[in-house]
Amino acid sequence: MAKEMIAMLLAGGQGSRLYALTQKLAKPAVPFGGKYRIIDFPLSNCVNSGIDTVGILTQYQPLVLNEYIGNGQPWDLDRLYGGVHVLPPYQQASGSDWYKGTANAIYQNISFIERYNPQYVIILSGDQICKQDYSDFLRFHKEKGAEFSVAVMEVPWDEASRFGLMVADENDKITEFQEKPKNPKSNLASMGIYIFNWDILRKYLIEDEEDPNSENDFGNNIIPNLLRDGRNMYAYHFDGYWKDVGTISSLWEANMEVLDPEHSGINLFDDNWKIFSRNSGMTGHRISADAVVENSMITDGCRISGEVKHSILYAGVQVEAGAVVEDAVVMGGTVIKAGAVVKHCIVAENAVIGENAVVGAMPTETEKGVATVGPGVYIGEGAKIGPNAMVYNNVKGGEVQ
Amino acid sequence: MINSNVNALGIIFPNSYDNWVPELVTERSMASIPFAGRYRMVDFILSSMVNCGIDNISLPVRKNYHSLMDHLGSGREWDLTRKNGGLNIVPPFAEKGVKVYDGRVEALASILTFLKSQKEKYVVMADANIAVNFDFKALINAHVASGADVTVVYAEQEVPAAMMAAPTESKEMYYTLDLDGSKVTRIRINTKDEGIRNVGMNISIIDRELLIDLISVAYVHGYIYFERDVLAHQLDKLNVQAYKFEGYFARICDMKSYFNENMKLLDDANLDGLFASNPVYTKIRDDNPTRYIAGAKAKNIMAADGCVIEGDVENSILFRGVKVGKGAKVKNCVLMQDTVIEDGAVVEYVITDKKVTITAGKEVKGTDSYQVFVAKNKTV
Repeated sequence: MAKEMIAMLLAGGQGSRLYALTQKLAKPAVPFGGKYRIIDFPLSNCVNSGIDTVGILTQYQPLVLNEYIGNGQPWDLDRLYGGVHVLPPYQQASGSDWYKGTANAIYQNISFIERYNPQYVIILSGDQICKQDYSDFLRFHKEKGAEFSVAVMEVPWDEASRFGLMVADENDKITEFQEKPKNPKSNLASMGIYIFNWDILRKYLIEDEEDPNSENDFGNNIIPNLLRDGRNMYAYHFDGYWKDVGTISSLWEANMEVLDPEHSGINLFDDNWKIFSRNSGMTGHRISADAVVENSMITDGCRISGEVKHSILYAGVQVEAGAVVEDAVVMGGTVIKAGAVVKHCIVAENAVIGENAVVGAMPTETEKGVATVGPGVYIGEGAKIGPNAMVYNNVKGGEVQ
Repeated sequence: MINSNVNALGIIFPNSYDNWVPELVTERSMASIPFAGRYRMVDFILSSMVNCGIDNISLPVRKNYHSLMDHLGSGREWDLTRKNGGLNIVPPFAEKGVKVYDGRVEALASILTFLKSQKEKYVVMADANIAVNFDFKALINAHVASGADVTVVYAEQEVPAAMMAAPTESKEMYYTLDLDGSKVTRIRINTKDEGIRNVGMNISIIDRELLIDLISVAYVHGYIYFERDVLAHQLDKLNVQAYKFEGYFARICDMKSYFNENMKLLDDANLDGLFASNPVYTKIRDDNPTRYIAGAKAKNIMAADGCVIEGDVENSILFRGVKVGKGAKVKNCVLMQDTVIEDGAVVEYVITDKKVTITAGKEVKGTDSYQVFVAKNKTV
């Protein structure tokens, strides 16, 4: 039986600008929003949109991601026919290759797609925070009689030159594509989310692979080739919340926006569009008699005895008495010892912030940095981590970084 | 059983002691009573069995079992979706001769064919009115080492007043043990004796073949209760050993104990006693983390995921998805899942069942000795 549309999720990204957080895991596996990982967003979008077949293309540090996805049950993607499949590069009779580019990653899995014989394929990016109804995108694609559609967002004109831009006419038909141009003709930025008719995608992937000069990239090769041939290409406008959490500051910011669903546009409290994740299975969180918790999100398994303000605490975080946490993103299993001060920063999973240590500082006119402590790092008693530091090795007591 | 490292199957009786908490079981069984913020009573004993490698578990249900079936589903969250064994819910009338049972003898008689066809050497049995992180492996080892026919678990404690006060016509029985060393010399039924006793926890282990023999005989005699009608009379013939449990447990024997046992978990030592040793599994709801909005105040509480708190909450247990509105005050309460306390409402010493709404500005107060209970789906 053919599937109408299946999803291919590009999850091989290293996320090198998140350095301390992505040493051991790929960017889509980076924890987000208290109990999620970034990849939960596109996966949940798929399920909520009625897509039940997802190929996840992995390459960089896939171990955490593989284990996390498992059989796909938390997203209801454990299916007899379809479901979620992790697709790493593999060896073939003619040799083996890493995925050379985004298009090559799909090319190498043509046989996977053919098993489902879909009419449409949606290409997703595994490193964006976004709630999007792909079924509405598909409806648009069909209505326009498109062969290729791309989801676009309007961006401010002065930032437009940072993006891949689609120039479209009044019917949303794409006439030109500009990759990070100096003189933008459009402010419609590509979100890196595409719907293809499968026969068209297949044809262009094969042609692209035969071109020795190609970078095998959707933005640089496939889309320009489609334009060259005058294909029916349309831009689908998306105006919801969208964030590429590629840097420490954007990751921190996106987490903080979760705390303010009324104004920020990202609402994780929507029962009609749940974001699914693999749950910690921990017991409810405890807030002790002397604790202060203000304007924060607290996840199962946390134990709070100190002061927590405007922060997100992931599952199983401990904040001991006298510790202060403010404007902070504290990931699962981290312990913040008595008297420690943790502000305006990201502390990754299973770190220990020693007694009276100081991590980060509230921003000032001149200093707005978000301090970062990597996973499993031990910050010794009384150590001081400055607002711009990125720490991925243990820090001895009293040391200043 | 190479893959499960224990040679025992489990049986949990989900409806035992239903009569002790009539308010909570109008639409559910003892086993599916919500407890400790995000669990149902059955989760504790079920997870304990699973964590010890027992992967063949039956629940002979008696009545009101819809909520339990909804909770357990295929048993996936407990890793009991197995081709061999796994979770086995046995409703009444499932087979010819299987009727609504009263006691363990009848319940076990109803699954006798099943028991005969199993391979495990031992059977562990438990009720669901005790929340405990129980080490079944240790019990099995003790049972094997002592060469006992039956080993029953007890705790040294005073018989809870609620159990003594329970009306005798409720058909619910409790047992205390007289011991000679670790050998059980007498089983006392519904004793009113005060002071520290060896109070049975209704967790036991027995050789499967022996259980089948005992039940076959007892059933044709019209016996109903295993401890009262079978064990108590054969202490001279059977080697019944007692196994003392010294860890933390929470026993539900009336509404007051339900309230108190929830509240006791606000002491971290108790919380760790119940949860620290092994994970307790439950049905996943995919709630978002709990949100404390500016202006919220929380003191000494336990809250599960999915809550939104804008008001004041103190000394309370909040289950998943509870909402506390602006200016609302919640003190000394147990609020089950999806309870809504609207803006400005004041609740003290209140137990709300699932999906209760206390509308804006209302005031509902119980006392330390008597908590107000608001039934499922009700609006105040």
